[in-house]
Amino acid sequence: MSAGPTKDPAPAAQDWQAADRPEWGANDAHPLLNTDIPRVDGPEKVTGVAKYTHDIRLPGMVYARLVISPYPRAVVRDMNFRRARRVPGVVHAEPLEEEGVQLLFQGAGGVVGIVAGESPEAAEAGRAEVSIDYEALEPVVTPEQALADGAPGVGRGGRNVSSVESHGDQQAVAAAIGGCDHVVQATYRVPVQHHVSLETHGVVVDYDGGDSAVVYHSSQNVTGANREFSNYLGLDADKVTVLVQNVGGGFGAKFGAGLEGRLACELAVELKRPVHLMLTREDEFLMAGNRSGSEQRMVGGASSDGTFKVLAVEADKHGGVGQGALPRPPYIYTVENSVAEVRSVHTATDSSRAMRAPGHPQASFAMESMIDELAYGIRMDPVEFRKKNLADPVWHRQLDRVAEEIGWHDHPHRTQPGPGGDGVHVGIGFGVAVWGSRSRDVTVVDLRVEPDGGVTASTAVQDIGQGARTLVAAIVAEELGLDAPEVRAEIGDSRLPPAVGSGGSTTTGSIGPSIKDAAYQARVELSKRVAPLLDAEPGELRFAGHRVFVAGDTGRSLSWREACAALGDAPLRVTGRFQPHLRDQGIHGAQAAKVQVDMLTGRVDVLKMVSIQDQGLPLNRMAIRSQMNGGMIQALSFALFEERVLDPDTGIMLSSDMENYKIAGCREMPELVAIIDDEDTREAVMGMAEASNIPGHSAIGNAIYNACGLRLRDMPFTPDRILTALGGMS
Amino acid sequence: MPPRDGRTGPDTPPEPREERPPAGFSRRSFLVGASGGALAGALGGGLAGKAAAATPPAAPPAQEGPETLSGTVEVELRVNGTALTARVLPQTTLLGALRHHVDPPLTGSKEVCDRGTCGACTVIVDGRPVYSCMQLAVQMTGREIRTVEGLGTPDALSPVQAAFCEHDALMCGFCTPGFVVASTACLEKHGDPDLDTIKEELSGNVCRCGTYPHVFEAVQSAAKARGGRTGR
Ligand code: FES
Ligand code: FES
Repeated sequence: MSAGPTKDPAPAAQDWQAADRPEWGANDAHPLLNTDIPRVDGPEKVTGVAKYTHDIRLPGMVYARLVISPYPRAVVRDMNFRRARRVPGVVHAEPLEEEGVQLLFQGAGGVVGIVAGESPEAAEAGRAEVSIDYEALEPVVTPEQALADGAPGVGRGGRNVSSVESHGDQQAVAAAIGGCDHVVQATYRVPVQHHVSLETHGVVVDYDGGDSAVVYHSSQNVTGANREFSNYLGLDADKVTVLVQNVGGGFGAKFGAGLEGRLACELAVELKRPVHLMLTREDEFLMAGNRSGSEQRMVGGASSDGTFKVLAVEADKHGGVGQGALPRPPYIYTVENSVAEVRSVHTATDSSRAMRAPGHPQASFAMESMIDELAYGIRMDPVEFRKKNLADPVWHRQLDRVAEEIGWHDHPHRTQPGPGGDGVHVGIGFGVAVWGSRSRDVTVVDLRVEPDGGVTASTAVQDIGQGARTLVAAIVAEELGLDAPEVRAEIGDSRLPPAVGSGGSTTTGSIGPSIKDAAYQARVELSKRVAPLLDAEPGELRFAGHRVFVAGDTGRSLSWREACAALGDAPLRVTGRFQPHLRDQGIHGAQAAKVQVDMLTGRVDVLKMVSIQDQGLPLNRMAIRSQMNGGMIQALSFALFEERVLDPDTGIMLSSDMENYKIAGCREMPELVAIIDDEDTREAVMGMAEASNIPGHSAIGNAIYNACGLRLRDMPFTPDRILTALGGMS
Repeated sequence: MPPRDGRTGPDTPPEPREERPPAGFSRRSFLVGASGGALAGALGGGLAGKAAAATPPAAPPAQEGPETLSGTVEVELRVNGTALTARVLPQTTLLGALRHHVDPPLTGSKEVCDRGTCGACTVIVDGRPVYSCMQLAVQMTGREIRTVEGLGTPDALSPVQAAFCEHDALMCGFCTPGFVVASTACLEKHGDPDLDTIKEELSGNVCRCGTYPHVFEAVQSAAKARGGRTGR
C-alpha cells in the first residue's frame, strides 16, 4: 500500500476533525460548505431527465380529472354523467355527491364528480360532457358579505367570525395616544395570494388490486405519508411506498394527500389500475390553498424623538373556511403600549394553507407601512426610526448595509417624500424580517461507505427546490474530503430512515445535524481501520482532497480509495441522529427597494432590490442566494401583480389562470442584490427561506411613498390603484 | 373590485412564442368539436392523408378541403432527429403527444398552464421557440422539433445546460427545461445578447421559485462559452 505524497495539498484548517464530537468548525474555514456548490441534481433537471410526479407513466394507467362547481355555495340539482361515459377512451365518470346536496365552499367543498380516461385528452373530453345543474346560493365570498347582518354561516360551526384573540391594555393605550406628537390612523389590506407552484398538486397511485401499492406524490413531506395513503387504499402502511423524487414547487401548500390524493386512491381501488391525478391549473387555483388575506385597522403614535409610543390594532384574517395566519402585533417592533384584537373572518372560499412565512408578509405590510408613516410624520429618516424601535442590533447592521447598497445616503429625499407632480419619480423604501427557523429531532441518516470508495447517504427528506439533496451529499462529502457529486444522496422514499417535512424553514436545521453526525461517525470509524496502515493514532488522521493523511505530516497518507479498501469485504454502515449543538434558530433580515413611479400611467417599475440574510453557517452560498432572489421576486410579484379576484355576485373565481393571476416575469426583474450576512458567526445551521420572503413588498410600498408621496394601503400596487390614489391626493 | 385588466401589471410581456396555430386550425375549435361528439377542423393539404388514417373512419370530407377528424389519428413527428409515430385524438397538442403518446414518452417539456402563458412546454420547431401546448400534434408533420431531451444529456450537457448548473439557474426545476430551450433558441438567434435582449427573449417563460437573475447570468456565460456564435 503506497503512502506517497498528496497530489492536492490539504487545506490548512481541518481543525474540526480533531474534535471529539461532530463540529462544523469556523464558518470561514470550510473546504466545501459555505462555498458555491452546484446542485447535484442539476444535470438531471436541466436535461429533462428528472422525473416529477406529473411525469410518471405506468402501463395501464388512467388519467383522472375532477368535476368542480364554479359556485362557492350551491345546491346540486341535476347531474348527468351518462354522456361522459360514452366518450371514447373514458373509463370512469361518476358523481361524488348526491343530487340535492348543498355545496358549502369553493374548492374542495365543490368537487362533485370524477372522470377518468385512457389518455388525458379522453379524460378532458369526458369531463366536458358532464352536465350539472346548480342552484347557486348567496355566495359569501367577501368579508363584507360574511359580516353582513343575516349572512349565512359559512365557517366551522356556522360562525363567520372565529378565533378572536386579544391582548394589551386598552386604557394604557388610550392614555398614551394623548402623549404622541404624531398619530396615524390607517387601514391596510393584503389580498389572498396563491402559491402557483408550477407543478400542480397531485399523485400517481400505482395499484392493481393486490396487497401493496406505490404512490408518487408531489409533496413536501415524505416521512409517514405512507400511513395516510394506506388508509385510503385499505392496505397496511408498510405495504405502501411513497416516492417524492422531484417536486415542482410547494411553498407550503403541499402537505398531506389532499382530497385529490384520497380520490385517486379510491379510484385505483375501484379500477384496479394505476391512476394519474394531477390537478389542472384551474383546479389548482380553486382548491390547492392560498395565503390568507388580511385587513388591519391600526392607530399608531410616536413622539418627535422617534419613539414608537403606541399601537392599537384590529386585524381580520381572511383564510376562507380556514383560519388564516397573522403573527401577533406589533410584530417585530418594540412599542411602549399596544393593544390588539385579531380574528378570523370566514368566507365560503378555499381554505388558506401555509405559504412561505405564513402570516408574516401580511403583518409586515401593515407594520412597515405604519412605521414609515410615523417616521415621515415626524420628519425622521425611516431607517433611523426603525433602528430606534428595533431591539436587536442585528437589524441595525443589516439596515445599514442594505441602505448603503441601495444608495440611500445619496438619495435626495429621506425625511419627506419627493415632491410628486408630473413625470417619473424614484423612491427608496425598507422593511425588516424575522423567522424562528426552528428544527426538529426527527431525522435519521444512514450512511454506507463501500470498500471501493462509494458513499451513499440515505434519508427520506424531499427536495422541493431548496437543494436538500445537495446538502445531504455536500455535508457528507466535506467530512470525508470528497466532492459533493461523489456522494450518492438517496432521498424522497418513505422506506428510507425518517426525515423532517419541508415547512417553516425547518429542513436545513433538522437534517443538517443528522447528516453531519452520520458523516462524523463514518470518518471516525474509517480512521480506526486506516490508522494502523499509516502507523498513526485514529485521532491524528485528517480527511481532505480525496486523501486520508496524518495531521501535520501529509506525506503519510492514503488515497480515499486505498483507505476504503481497508474495509475489506464489508461496507461500513453508520446511522446519524439529530445533534442539537449543530443547529441554532432565530434569524433576521432586511431589504430595500428602489422604484420608479410614472405619475401619468400609474405604472410602478422596481429598479433594484437588496436583501441581507443571516443564517448561521451558510451551507451552500449559491443556493442561499437563489432563495433570497426567490424571496425578493415573490414579494415583488405580490406587491405589483398578484390578486385573487372573485365575482362578488356569483362567487365565481375570475382569476383562475396564469393570464389573469399574473406572477412576475423576466421583464419585471430589477437588479437584485442578495447579501449573505457573514457577520453572523454562529457555527450552526438553520433555514432562511421564509425570512427572505417577508419584507420585500413592504419595502416597495414604502418606496412608492418616498418617490412621490402616495401612500398605498391596499395591495397590489397596480396602475389603477396608483391613479385612484393620485386622484384622491389632488 | 378593481378592473380585471388593472391586475395584469404595467409590463405584461409580449408573447414572443408562436401562440396561435396557423389560420385554419384552432385548438379551441377542436375542443368545441370534441364536446359535440364530432371533431371539426379545417385541414390543410399535408394533413389530409393523416385524416384518412383516422379510426374509426373519418367522417366524409366536406366538399371544399375542410375535413372532419374523429376517433384517433396517427401522427408522425420528427423529434430530435428521430421519426416518431403516435396515435392520438385530433385535439391532442404537441405537448400532449410528446408527454403521453410517443414511446418512450418525452416528459422533459412540462405542462404547467396548458394555455400558452408560462413557457414550461417550450420546444423549438423549425428553429423557432414555440409553446408546444398551443400547437396541435396533427399540424407537426414535416416539421423539425427539438425538445430539451435533444439538447444534451446529464453526462454531455449543452453549453446552456452546463451554464444553468454552474449558475444555479434552477431551484425546483419545473420551469427549467422550458428556460433551457428558450435560452438555447435565444443564443442561436443572438450570438452575444445583452441583458435586455435576454429578458425579452425569455419573457414568455415564468418561474415561481425566482431563478430569473441566475438564468440571465447563465445565458450570458453560455454565450461566452459559445464564442458569441449564432446558429446551432
Ligand atoms: S404549458 Fe404551454 S405555455 Fe404553459
Ligand atoms: S425553478 Fe421552480 S419554477 Fe422555476
